Amino acid sequence: MYFFKLICERLQKIGGKKMSKHLKGLIVLLLAVLVLAACGGDGSSESNANGDDTSGEEQITINVFQGKVEIKDQFEAMVEVYEEENPNVNIEFVAVGGGSDYIGSLKTRFSSGDEPEIFSIAGPTEAEQFKDYLADLSDTESAQLAFEGTLDSVRDGDAVLGLPYNLEGYGYIYNKEIFENAGVDASSIMTYEDLENAFSTIDSQKDDLGIVAVNALGAKERWIIGAHLANAYLAPEFNNNILEAYNADTVTFERGDELKRMLDLQVEYSVQPTLNIDYSQQVEQYFSLGQVAVIQQGNWIYPSVEQMDPDLAQNLGILPIPVEGLEGKLPVGVPNYWGVNKNKDEATVQAAKDFLDWMNTSEVGKETVTSEFNFIPAYEGYSADMINDPISKEIFRYSEAGETIGWVFNGFPSNSWGDLLGEFMQEYIADGLEWEDVLTNATEKWEEGRN
Amino acid sequence: MKNKDLSFWLFLTPVLLALAIVVFIPLIIGTYYSFTDWNGLTVTKFVGFEHYLNILKDETFIDALKFTTLFSIVAVILLNIIGLGLAILVTQKLKSSNFLRTIFFMPNLIGGLILGFIWQFVFINVFGEIGQSLGIPSLQGWLSTTNTGFWGLVILTIWQMSGYIMIIYIAYLQNIPNELNEAADIDGASSLQRFRHITFPLVAPAFTVSMFLTLSNAFKIYDQNLSLTEGGPFGSTQMVAMDIVRTAYTRNQLAYGQAKAVIFFIIIAVIALSQVYYNKKREVDL
Repeated sequence: MYFFKLICERLQKIGGKKMSKHLKGLIVLLLAVLVLAACGGDGSSESNANGDDTSGEEQITINVFQGKVEIKDQFEAMVEVYEEENPNVNIEFVAVGGGSDYIGSLKTRFSSGDEPEIFSIAGPTEAEQFKDYLADLSDTESAQLAFEGTLDSVRDGDAVLGLPYNLEGYGYIYNKEIFENAGVDASSIMTYEDLENAFSTIDSQKDDLGIVAVNALGAKERWIIGAHLANAYLAPEFNNNILEAYNADTVTFERGDELKRMLDLQVEYSVQPTLNIDYSQQVEQYFSLGQVAVIQQGNWIYPSVEQMDPDLAQNLGILPIPVEGLEGKLPVGVPNYWGVNKNKDEATVQAAKDFLDWMNTSEVGKETVTSEFNFIPAYEGYSADMINDPISKEIFRYSEAGETIGWVFNGFPSNSWGDLLGEFMQEYIADGLEWEDVLTNATEKWEEGRN
Repeated sequence: MKNKDLSFWLFLTPVLLALAIVVFIPLIIGTYYSFTDWNGLTVTKFVGFEHYLNILKDETFIDALKFTTLFSIVAVILLNIIGLGLAILVTQKLKSSNFLRTIFFMPNLIGGLILGFIWQFVFINVFGEIGQSLGIPSLQGWLSTTNTGFWGLVILTIWQMSGYIMIIYIAYLQNIPNELNEAADIDGASSLQRFRHITFPLVAPAFTVSMFLTLSNAFKIYDQNLSLTEGGPFGSTQMVAMDIVRTAYTRNQLAYGQAKAVIFFIIIAVIALSQVYYNKKREVDL
């Protein structure tokens, strides 16, 4: 700091009294910036030196950047095995999520120039945004093995811009014990009428069964009604193809009446007021504690149920949401895709592809993906026995048999049209909006989002 | 006065630098982005005032602004009344006054997110149970309507912030010289008259500070909003800050969200500055 002062005094002498106060301030500022910049420079040169100690063969570093925090330890353990088999590849795993904004962090990484080699994207909106960075993966083994339809949302002509993480599915998850006690045979429920009968049978024995209501509708969460429930009735309109939804200029709600009927049914037999029930209340407070018999949810609730009641977790089943003409089909989709950065050199891109293939097709990879990550595989070559939990097993069987309804909600306009539809549906539940207005308002918003 | 020499700037440099890096530069860059089609990664073209014109037609933003304004007005009035009330209470000669001060200030130490979840439990479960067992329907189904959502937010904010406002008022109340009150007492002034003509004018500076604090805080609320109502039911309790976050990150319209943020910034700056100016004129100097 003394050195600093000296320079300033020297400068002051040169400038004499003519130097204005502002100029002085400016010079001080500039000097401070220089000092700071010099400190910063030291740090970066050091880290460069660290990365240099290669042992003969060319070292390839692959940074994996993605949003699932819960698989971090398991992923790193799997990576260790891979690194032993391929000593020239070094894989660094970064997980951003669990409350922090993944896609925002990813954009920051890209705009700062520190681009990861492998990163995750969700659906066609993000695939389009990152199109300039995504390599074509159609030549990978994984792409050949992926279930039909799972690559739809990341196709760009002949190119495949991502590989599915896993499958997820939702429907009516039910408590087998309560269904048995009520004398309802779940396997016979196919149509809407079957479901209605089952609900009213259970409802009539509420007190004997020790439940407060048949189901708990988490209407506070806009995605439960606006994205998931609505998807079952919107997907047929777009031929179960997410890209078709993504490119559609409007939505006609061909099955709007069916959607209304199902929403009404769920509201009628739910714990009240439904607008107060959020995800955690629905899953933990009502379902896991055995206060309701059934909820509209997906396989992702398994860990929470298991934590609260391991016996119940083993005793769960899933029923499809009945859609006329498509009974017995479960809405199954891909929540996330692995993408490979194409702005890296060829060897690195190839190494990244090889790693993804290894993860999806090797024995170690398959084992980790199914039993450690608890993923439902989106690829051929797995068997249902490899999957731990009962809901995921059933979902895998549905997808293997092709008995599925597609997920189109990631192709909704600007990614959040489902939230808007959910808000209109909430208003309908609160008696503030007629059903026709729900549909017209939602259609209007869809068209707005497409312009 | 030669206090603005070199050392003056030297000492100021770290602060100026920090301010420039975290406030001024982002503000300038952000304003620039609001005139472009920035998507978080790249800027391809300059769109001029397009985003700003769209905001004028954006119902969600205008609804959020109305809701926030109404909320702020109610919150500021109630916060200052209750804050001053608590301050007067704990400056009385009570044995428990130190204890009470601690208790009243305590909610301020809890983060907004957690408070939101605690109050969500209180409003939905505790209120619901009480309402059910006493047969009061108005206590049931809180937060599932717009009105109860609004008052839920007001109650939460008051509970959290009134202790802080109380501390500010205490500082000013304790600065009032005893002689004034004693003299007025001898002259036969009632306690109400003493409050109206002595206490009130002398704590006027505290109004400046606390109204500024409460108003800008009430306007900027985000975490309490997020954890208590999440904007629901049907987005009717969504405040401006939440609308901006949702526009930018959920709907992925980063530049448009940035334009909303610029407007939000201007509104807060205008309110805050005009209020400081107005209150300064009314203050009584001792």
